[in-house]
Amino acid sequence: MDAPQEVGGPVPTAPGRAALEVSSLSGRPGIRASGEITVVTRPSWEEALSELARNHAGVSYVELSDVGFVDVAGVTALAITAMNLPDGRVVVEHPPPHLPRVLEMFWPNLHQIEVAPR
Amino acid sequence: MSMASINETFKHPALFYRTAQEYTDQTVSFVREGLAVGEPVAVAVPGPNLELIRSGLGSDADGLLFLDMTDAGRNPGRIIPGVLRKFADAHPKGRVRIIGEPIWAGRTAAEYPACAQHEALINAAFEGRAVTILCPYDEARLDADVLTDARLTHPTVISQGREQASDAYDWEAIVARYNEVLQPALDAAVFSFDAEELSAARTFAVRQAQRLGLDGTRLLDAELAVAELTTNSVIHGGGHGTLAIWSEAGQVVVEVRDAGRLLDPLAGRRPPEQGQLGGRGLMLVHYVTDLVRVHTTGDGTAVRFYLTP
Repeated sequence: MDAPQEVGGPVPTAPGRAALEVSSLSGRPGIRASGEITVVTRPSWEEALSELARNHAGVSYVELSDVGFVDVAGVTALAITAMNLPDGRVVVEHPPPHLPRVLEMFWPNLHQIEVAPR
Repeated sequence: MSMASINETFKHPALFYRTAQEYTDQTVSFVREGLAVGEPVAVAVPGPNLELIRSGLGSDADGLLFLDMTDAGRNPGRIIPGVLRKFADAHPKGRVRIIGEPIWAGRTAAEYPACAQHEALINAAFEGRAVTILCPYDEARLDADVLTDARLTHPTVISQGREQASDAYDWEAIVARYNEVLQPALDAAVFSFDAEELSAARTFAVRQAQRLGLDGTRLLDAELAVAELTTNSVIHGGGHGTLAIWSEAGQVVVEVRDAGRLLDPLAGRRPPEQGQLGGRGLMLVHYVTDLVRVHTTGDGTAVRFYLTP
């Protein structure tokens, strides 16, 4: 089993400043994120999603139980990544409630994303 | 003029009516004219009027889209993307026909300027498209100023059964007229932010919104909307801004001010392509809130949204 690998790289934390850490999941394809997905952390989120798409085969997992907030652009990046996959789907595990809310609003029938709620 | 250019002309008549009978007669014949030539038809009007049209149509109502405008169009800012474009874009071949009644007696003083701007912006949003949108106005119950504005926002007016060109038609004047100064609330909780404090600004807004009575999905929506507006300030509005939140007439109001200027009057009202990266932030604010008001000049922009707990 591969050791968890830094994908996006940590963002230095400061009071009130959003940070995001992303690493590869161990034992299954995909990523785990913790922190917030906003304009400040978007580069690491998008980089991690590109990495996920590159390694995708069948089903990839995005574990978000330690993510407190995701904005519209963060959900958009995920939706577009999933739409552009050649096959299969992305299972989003335990996302903050903002994510299904935005998905439902702009991509109500996106079959490439399956959400496993908190 | 060639046939093609006639077919692609956008038609946007205002219908001035005085009685339920006149309303029913005019709207039902408008719908039937469309059905006779195979046009898809949608009706988005306040609930009681929806029933007038539905019962007037009888079995012709089967299969048409009926929406209660007091719900679908509670926030007038979401009617273009969420009702009109949504229906027109779903029927890209040939002309579509819509009855849209966004202004009814009972729209508040805070809502009306956004309603008038919405009516004006329909002309920009559908320019050159084969779409007909009929907008009924209740002559008996609406203020004279509202009817005057309708003559500026509609190229033609149907009154007492006759359609005539409106000499006053000038939709851009209405967009400018209702770009009104938004007076800051004196009792607001205020937070200044820049890129470093976006997260803190959001947390501040959520705490205050909770204190003022929002919970569940409405609180979630407030958080999403605050994130979009404060992010816009950081990216497009000079890098920093001020967030204010207060309670007004039973609603929670959130306002974000910055040094930017909103140049595109249709921002937040153009549905993006499914795979398009940007363009959803302001639209989300329109979709999830009950009202959005904007004041924008060369000196800065204030955007405020209203949420009913």
